[in-house]
Amino acid sequence: MAEAVVLKAEDICKSFGSLEVLKGITLEARNHDVISILGSSGSGKSTFLRCLNMLDPPTSGKVSVHGEEIVVKNGHPADMRQVERARQRLGMVFQQFNLWTHRTAIENVMEGPIHVLKQPKAEVKERAEALLVRVGLAERMNMYPSQLSGGQQQRVAIARALCMEPDAILFDEPTSALDPELVGEVLRVMQSLAAEGRTMIVVTHEMSFARDVSTEVVFMHKGKIAEQGPPKEMFGSPKTEVFQKFIADVR
Amino acid sequence: MLELFSFGEAGWGDQLLQGLLVTIQLALTALPVGLLLGFAAAGASLSPYRWLRAIGTGYTTIMRGLPELLTLFVVYNGLGLLLNSIVSSWNPDARVELSSFVAGVIALGLVFGAFAGEVLRGAFQSLNKGQMEAGKAVGMRPTQVFFRIMLPQVWRFALPGLGNLWINLLKDTALVSVIALDDLMRMTQVAVRSTKQPFTFFLAACLIYWALCVISEIVLARLEKRANRGVRRA
Amino acid sequence: MDVFGVFAQFWPELLSGVGITIKLAGLGAIIAGFLAPLLALVRVNGGPAAQVPLRFYISFMRGTPLLAQMFLIYYGSGQFRPFLQDIGLWNFFREPFNCALLAFVMNSTAYQTEILRGGIMGVPHGEIEAGKAVGMSYVMSLRRVVFPHAYRIAWPALGNEIILLIKASALASVVTVFDLMGQTRAIFQKTFDFSVYIWAAVLYLCLTAAFVWIWRRFEHRLSPHIHGKRPSLLGAMTKRETA
Repeated sequence: MAEAVVLKAEDICKSFGSLEVLKGITLEARNHDVISILGSSGSGKSTFLRCLNMLDPPTSGKVSVHGEEIVVKNGHPADMRQVERARQRLGMVFQQFNLWTHRTAIENVMEGPIHVLKQPKAEVKERAEALLVRVGLAERMNMYPSQLSGGQQQRVAIARALCMEPDAILFDEPTSALDPELVGEVLRVMQSLAAEGRTMIVVTHEMSFARDVSTEVVFMHKGKIAEQGPPKEMFGSPKTEVFQKFIADVR
Repeated sequence: MLELFSFGEAGWGDQLLQGLLVTIQLALTALPVGLLLGFAAAGASLSPYRWLRAIGTGYTTIMRGLPELLTLFVVYNGLGLLLNSIVSSWNPDARVELSSFVAGVIALGLVFGAFAGEVLRGAFQSLNKGQMEAGKAVGMRPTQVFFRIMLPQVWRFALPGLGNLWINLLKDTALVSVIALDDLMRMTQVAVRSTKQPFTFFLAACLIYWALCVISEIVLARLEKRANRGVRRA
Repeated sequence: MDVFGVFAQFWPELLSGVGITIKLAGLGAIIAGFLAPLLALVRVNGGPAAQVPLRFYISFMRGTPLLAQMFLIYYGSGQFRPFLQDIGLWNFFREPFNCALLAFVMNSTAYQTEILRGGIMGVPHGEIEAGKAVGMSYVMSLRRVVFPHAYRIAWPALGNEIILLIKASALASVVTVFDLMGQTRAIFQKTFDFSVYIWAAVLYLCLTAAFVWIWRRFEHRLSPHIHGKRPSLLGAMTKRETA
């Protein structure tokens, strides 16, 4: 039996002024999917991800979370409450971590569940501690972001997304801002999330992650999906010239 | 309404203009005094001698912590008393009066100098050491290094801060009306007393001060642009 | 000059003056502190219809002497006396203390607004997005992300502004408020003893030093993670930014 659809994007277009960044993207994420979105810079992959949780509302097209369509009118969400509800269901991890610098690691993780979801503090604290232990930061829970390395900050950011108990997590180039030696620790955490069946949509430049971890690969080129499929097929026998060239260039 | 501000017998235009001139005179006289004190304070607080540093930081610290009005009264009354006691020890019948203009120049200069001292100290500290060494390396004397290399650059670093101080100085001149100097503020009060139109006249005074400040800002922006020639903005 | 004799004779007056000074500067800072964040939001997010008058207000407040502003309120209100009596506000404007306080509030609001605007603009955009991404509403992200962070950025500058307000409160003596400066002037007029000015200077320095101490205690609580510039009696009493 097919898994339930968590997130669905239909014919998403996005323009900034006269610049057309997305030209009709359709994508569906079902439970336990791990979708990697590849593409050269400027292909619109980050913008697409930001359309999914309305950080950049699409110019046209439909986004639905659990079958509920987020209504967008004239480039603005019609009902901010609805958007907020959707965002509570979709975690997000940013390229630049975006931790709240005036709060400690554990406060960052607890902030959303306590103040947005209004969950009891004791329960959230327990969960937050467990998550920080899981991402390998048991010793650093009470440190401020400025006292943590990039890799550690990104792991806190992943714990922050997880603590909301989201239905899916969006990753926007989570390792691009990291020094090469710190990439591995973040990828390992992401891999373990994939292994336990989390639904993830990952914009990335990490070919190994796309090939070995994801269940589906999407290659974007000039605002469109150029090629899409299971990683084995995609990397085994790339069909389009642009994707062939892309793989060749990265290697 | 407008004839209130006309010139000649009917209006108060010429009195206000007179006051404005005194205000500008006061600010322009206090400025060099303050700048000199500022350079002296900056030099003192950067000197290798401890006692000189103590004087420099003591002056800037205390002066910046006191209300400008208090400084003005300390100068006006204190210096007045001091002068009188000196003069009367020579000649028991003589009396001198410290003019409020002079007291204003000294007080405003002292205040400006204390803040300028900090601005200039910061500017000197942010000078690039390598450029001074380069000056020595081409055989310049210390005074040449100071005037040809350090001063032009200190000017650039200090200009924004000094510009702010100038505008504050302009506004602080209004205080001197309290010790009966016939500046813009006091001439306004005189006009108020005979016309019984306090709001109209104080508003007019405010607008004049405002115009002075806006003009100063425009000039300062130009100066800053000039001072930053050839410097790439970060 | 009888330095200690003056204090022995007039300490009750001087201390009551200190009390009025604290009341003036404290009330002024607190009331302005409530208004400034709202206006700062308008400065950052408001449309031109709200921005333009606000910018004029701030420029006016920063470009004119506080003394003139105080006179405009205290003496100027006399020009509208019948009207103010009609709407029942005359009793307020008759009191020099109220007029001085109003001038300080209006003036300090302008400066605090600009300081907080800087603080708000200094909050990294990504942190606000991270708040959106966990589903915070606009108001909640203001409360939980923007303002907590903006105040931490603005704290030292706000401290400086309050020090300036403490000093500026001496102007109230010109409209016959018996704050520390007012008492000092009255005592000097009675005794012609210069040492009363020395005591006034010492008391003003003590006031600002005490304030700096309290302010830093708060700062330590607020932001152990930011090692920025702090207001200090010795270091940071800079003049106001006027640009």
